[in-house]
Amino acid sequence: MAAELTPDQTAERLCELSTEVRAAVLLDAAGAPAAVHGVPKEDERELAELARGLFDAVDRAHRDLPGGPPEQVEVQVDAGVVYASRTPRWTLAAVARRTALSSLTLMDLRAVLAELEDGRPIRRSQAAGERTAAAAASEEAAASESPVPELGQDP
Amino acid sequence: MKEKRKGPIGIAADLAQGFSATMRRMQREREPRLLVYDETGYARLVQPNGRGYESLLESAEEMVALVAQAEDDA
Repeated sequence: MAAELTPDQTAERLCELSTEVRAAVLLDAAGAPAAVHGVPKEDERELAELARGLFDAVDRAHRDLPGGPPEQVEVQVDAGVVYASRTPRWTLAAVARRTALSSLTLMDLRAVLAELEDGRPIRRSQAAGERTAAAAASEEAAASESPVPELGQDP
Repeated sequence: MKEKRKGPIGIAADLAQGFSATMRRMQREREPRLLVYDETGYARLVQPNGRGYESLLESAEEMVALVAQAEDDA
């Protein structure tokens, strides 16, 4: 069984999962940085401050939306895109390339947060070429494979 | 229905139209775009004159610049 994801591994995990993500930061419920990946040590605090500022701005402006306070934010600027997603306990923000697909990147953010919160690892399918002899293709194995990461399944 | 222009002037006009449409599209793609999603995944576009637009944009631009700087230095 895969090791449980810890907060300090989360930012790196997102960068690993989503190739378009250049940097990521995880904040705890108090807004303190729990993990930063993709920037040098001296810039980590600044990136975390800016990420916290995103939801501060959202909450000041959009708290009274009919669907409740926003849970995710996407800001496209000239040189890249910033995505952020939050749960009551954690906020995960990412800086991605402009070519990133919003729905996929936001799904990755949610999947990593779910893995952190519930301890359910993201199930990733393997390319046929990566398979070992022990995991030889069979109809049964193929039927169990899914092209998208699935949550809520035992590995 | 709009009558299609024929001949070299028509071709030049079509090319100019295509070019200007491409330029407009590129311009639109470069413009900042802010979206907020509620818990059901419903997206709302934050308009440039909307509340919080400026501060959100400022934070995001600084984040992107910080990461770009880090990549340049690496």
